[in-house]
Amino acid sequence: MAAELTVLNGARERDLTKLDEYRTIGGYGQLERARGMAPEAVIETITNAKLRGRGGAGFAMGRKMSLVPPPDKRRSPAYVVANADESEPGAFKDREIMRTAPHRFVEGCLIAAHGIQSRNVFIYIRGEYLTEYEVLSRAVEEARAAGIFDDCDVVVHRGAGAYICGEESALLDSLEGKRGQPRPRPPFPPVTGLYGGPTLVNNVQTIASVPAIFELGVEEYTRIGPESAPGTVVYSLSGNVNKPGNYELPLGTTLRELIFEHGHGVAEGRALKAIIPGGSSVPVFTPNQLDVPLDFDSVQAAGSFLGSAAIIVVDDRACMVQLGLRAEKFYMHESCGKCTPCREGTRWLVQLLERIETGDGSQRDLDLLRDVCDRILGKSLCALGDFAVYCVASYVDKFYDEFKRHVEEGGCPYGGESSLDGVVAPSDQHTHSPVASPVPA
Amino acid sequence: MSTPELVTITVDEVEVQVPKGLGLVESAAMAGVEIPVFCYEPRIGPPIGACRMCLVEVEGQGKLQAGCTLTAQDGMVVRTAQTSEKAADGQESTLEFILVNHPLDCPVCDKGGECPLQDLTFRYGPGNTRMTFPKRTFDKPIPISPLIALDRERCILCYRCTRFSGEVSEDGQLIARNRGAQSVIATFEDEPYRGRFTGNVIELCPVGALTSTPYRFEARPWEIQNVPSVCGMCPVGCNISATTREGKVKRVLSRNHPEVDGGWLCDKGRFAYGHLQAADRLVDPLRRAAPRYEELSWDEALEEAERLIRTAGSRIVTALSGSETVELAYALGKLLRQGLGAHSAVLPEPVGHSFDAFRAPLSAIRSAQLVVVLGDEPVAERAPIVELWIKAARREGAEIVHASSGTPELETRLREAERAVLIVSGDDGGLATTAGLDRDGCAAFRLPKTANGRGVADAWAAAADEEPENPEPIGLLIVSGDEAAADPNVRAMAEQAETVIAIGMFRRLVAPWADLILPGTSYLERDGTYVNLEGRLQRIRRASIPPAPDELAVLSRLAARFEVEISPYPSQVFDEVSAICYGGVPYGEVGEQAGLPPRVPASQVRGSDPGTGPEATAEGPGLRLVTYRPLFSGPAVERIPELQFQRPGPEVELARDDAQRLGIASGQTVYVRSNGTSLELRARLSRELAPGVVRIPDEHAAGLEGRVEVSG
Repeated sequence: MAAELTVLNGARERDLTKLDEYRTIGGYGQLERARGMAPEAVIETITNAKLRGRGGAGFAMGRKMSLVPPPDKRRSPAYVVANADESEPGAFKDREIMRTAPHRFVEGCLIAAHGIQSRNVFIYIRGEYLTEYEVLSRAVEEARAAGIFDDCDVVVHRGAGAYICGEESALLDSLEGKRGQPRPRPPFPPVTGLYGGPTLVNNVQTIASVPAIFELGVEEYTRIGPESAPGTVVYSLSGNVNKPGNYELPLGTTLRELIFEHGHGVAEGRALKAIIPGGSSVPVFTPNQLDVPLDFDSVQAAGSFLGSAAIIVVDDRACMVQLGLRAEKFYMHESCGKCTPCREGTRWLVQLLERIETGDGSQRDLDLLRDVCDRILGKSLCALGDFAVYCVASYVDKFYDEFKRHVEEGGCPYGGESSLDGVVAPSDQHTHSPVASPVPA
Repeated sequence: MSTPELVTITVDEVEVQVPKGLGLVESAAMAGVEIPVFCYEPRIGPPIGACRMCLVEVEGQGKLQAGCTLTAQDGMVVRTAQTSEKAADGQESTLEFILVNHPLDCPVCDKGGECPLQDLTFRYGPGNTRMTFPKRTFDKPIPISPLIALDRERCILCYRCTRFSGEVSEDGQLIARNRGAQSVIATFEDEPYRGRFTGNVIELCPVGALTSTPYRFEARPWEIQNVPSVCGMCPVGCNISATTREGKVKRVLSRNHPEVDGGWLCDKGRFAYGHLQAADRLVDPLRRAAPRYEELSWDEALEEAERLIRTAGSRIVTALSGSETVELAYALGKLLRQGLGAHSAVLPEPVGHSFDAFRAPLSAIRSAQLVVVLGDEPVAERAPIVELWIKAARREGAEIVHASSGTPELETRLREAERAVLIVSGDDGGLATTAGLDRDGCAAFRLPKTANGRGVADAWAAAADEEPENPEPIGLLIVSGDEAAADPNVRAMAEQAETVIAIGMFRRLVAPWADLILPGTSYLERDGTYVNLEGRLQRIRRASIPPAPDELAVLSRLAARFEVEISPYPSQVFDEVSAICYGGVPYGEVGEQAGLPPRVPASQVRGSDPGTGPEATAEGPGLRLVTYRPLFSGPAVERIPELQFQRPGPEVELARDDAQRLGIASGQTVYVRSNGTSLELRARLSRELAPGVVRIPDEHAAGLEGRVEVSG
């Protein structure tokens, strides 16, 4: 077990929200080092460190930076936008980074800005993260007052509570003051992003990983974790596990180690039923997949996605139809309404899942459920449509007998005994979302 | 301009060469392949890829791609639903999802029969439904204005309407509210959708979600005829289709002329057709028999007209409206000038030809780098579509400069810009000439006040050469058209004249001061030609049969009594005029989509320019008052109940600097005074207005003149 921390390093021992404390462990020293380098060399360093995006897609940050045209080929200013709109159910890593090590994140932003030769950093933070917003804002003000920004500026902007604004192009629209809806791509943000200018959009954790690359050096950094994607990641472990929480570990840590060593196993000694390896949107794993290493390529090879490294443990009390319904209600509620398959399809899926769960479903409904998933998959404007069906389709595929029993036995085989306690929040929080309820007066 | 690079793409195994970067939907069309769309509409901005109707398979791409967001690249191989099962499944999926919550109330939907959703479902959609749940429902229909009804259940959320409102008319009033399946179209803060161009969203809507209230349940597409014509409400001359059912005009649609209107109409042009059915529409000739009028037969009316004309002899003055066709104005001129030597006329406005040297299609405004708008009258109130062209230019990066009058600095800027356009609502003081706007890429436009003021002036001049000698007193005043009848100056002349003949549509306008009233017709009831502000000669066509005989036919019969030969057929009258002033273009060649005549070199411009400069206003304290005739005013608009909400309120526009100096905030009630008149008006701050000027719609400025004092 590697002890090396690169993102939350020092945050448990010190109050790194204070500039002085951060300085005592060498804070902003990497910014100074990076600013002493040519911008191209900064990009090269990040490229050589093989830093892949921790927000979900795992795109190489160095490559993204190199897609931003150099100043002499720009028609408008370039921007760095930090995606702090962490909204994936199960993910809470960025919130811890911003609350406990905000300066490291800000330092990463400034290094990235130097790399792409931008003077404007925007941090788009999830609206519900009020404490994190306050902590981060204080850190930004402290750094500004200390003259650390130089000719760069950092603006923290609060979102208004939409999952879709974690999608980078919807985030940019929202940041511009428009309705947060994804843009068609190409063009991609590095070419045409915020206000039409070249824009580097990266997740909080990705950016917060940057200072360590300069501190450790590429060689040292790439020794952590697997060769294809080195470094650490903060796993958000939740669900029916004894010790849930954020665990910063090298990429490639196995599910077994994470759940049983760090998380001290399934709660109340119950049997493990399913594991969601990358936030609620990704295809589910079954207990026989416990030895899959949690890195981008291994999880994908095993049929799912590491996503935002949010691991949700599901024990044997859970009804998978209920879990699917719960997930689908979330995606229905969060669908932005721009493209047809996601907007109409998620609502239809909820209606079908409700019918199956209440025992009114037939085999035809079950077949239709699976078919509607396929009809959404790969046809939506952004990935939310895919997210909305990866999960449910995988529950149907891997727990088909359970779905079938709902249909054949005319109701939930758990007879009201099933529980999603501790796995996901109840869905009645979505108050303004009449689902299948018929006619509003 | 350099020829664009050509690339070769393959669509459904058809190879085609198209300009690089051309949209895939257009490229496929060039290969003879349809890529069906709902949300795609290039006129309202960049594609958004929302509806997913255009999904196609592109070689080398794993996922289906939205064809609307792609452009042609060399070697691209595309398969549509015709040749790709995957694409066909994608399109069928999209339609299935769209129809999941669509009410399918086609039998009672105004759009039924001319509905893209119906058509594409028929061609690409599933033949059955697998949806067995209650559909999503909303309150309906919601009147988002007195003109437009919104049915949220039929809406497929293509966002065409909100994009038009946000990115074309730039009023920002239509928005999407809520999220996901609960997304609905709404107006901002639920205020009525008010603006000059709102009706365009009805045409843009690919389903029956936004429908015209006046047209609601009036006709089905299989029992209507669309008559291609040109709008006669302002000097732009937008191309229209007048939808008729059983001989009555039921609605007006745009008939996209890319150089003139780009496919947009203003709400006046779209909704004013109801004036044809006005309650005070004149049907029979009337003779004043104080204190009331008596109806005459047409024979009696011609008899009476002849008597009045003969009595007055050459002491006749003709007041023209600028809404007459070229043919009507010529017929009047021929009868009165050649037949009676009555050369005296009150033209609707001074018209010159000097701008023919800077002529260009209106669409040239969009590609300008610098647009200078000269004059204090709002462009949109005179020539609304020009305002949309100016907005388009700004979106493309042009700088828009508003100024009261020309300055040496403006002249320099216009001279130095590569593509400069000057738009003038009064006199340009020779600026277009001195700035050299007859060079390539530049243009200048003068905005007349009337729809066909140019054509009427041309035709009247073509009828004879003699100079008018203004008779005193006037023996007979002939008032042609409702705009002239509504003009206070004409009314004043009528009071002085010994007798008056009025030709008009509305009784309330001409009674009780005319001695003989002849029923007139509307541009929707006539055949003939109009000349728009570009100098483009356009055909208007009779869409509905007027309740009274055609005016040209009446004039033809009347002229025969004076042994003047006037054909009752517009084509023959036009040929006569054309030989004199339109280079002999035959009537048949004016065409449904008229071209623009070439520029006339400055040295060969016909006649002198009358100069229409702003009346000199004495210097003095206070602010200079500019009054204007609002777009939503005039005899036709006054007769359409649904248009009343569009009429301007009692407002005074102030420049920001002046308002600040006077301590006046937007929305505040202020007092405007001059010559002992004091009016209470609501202040509105304007970014376009020059400092030192206040602007008030004429109907709210009664009694004010010259310079005014404004106080809070």
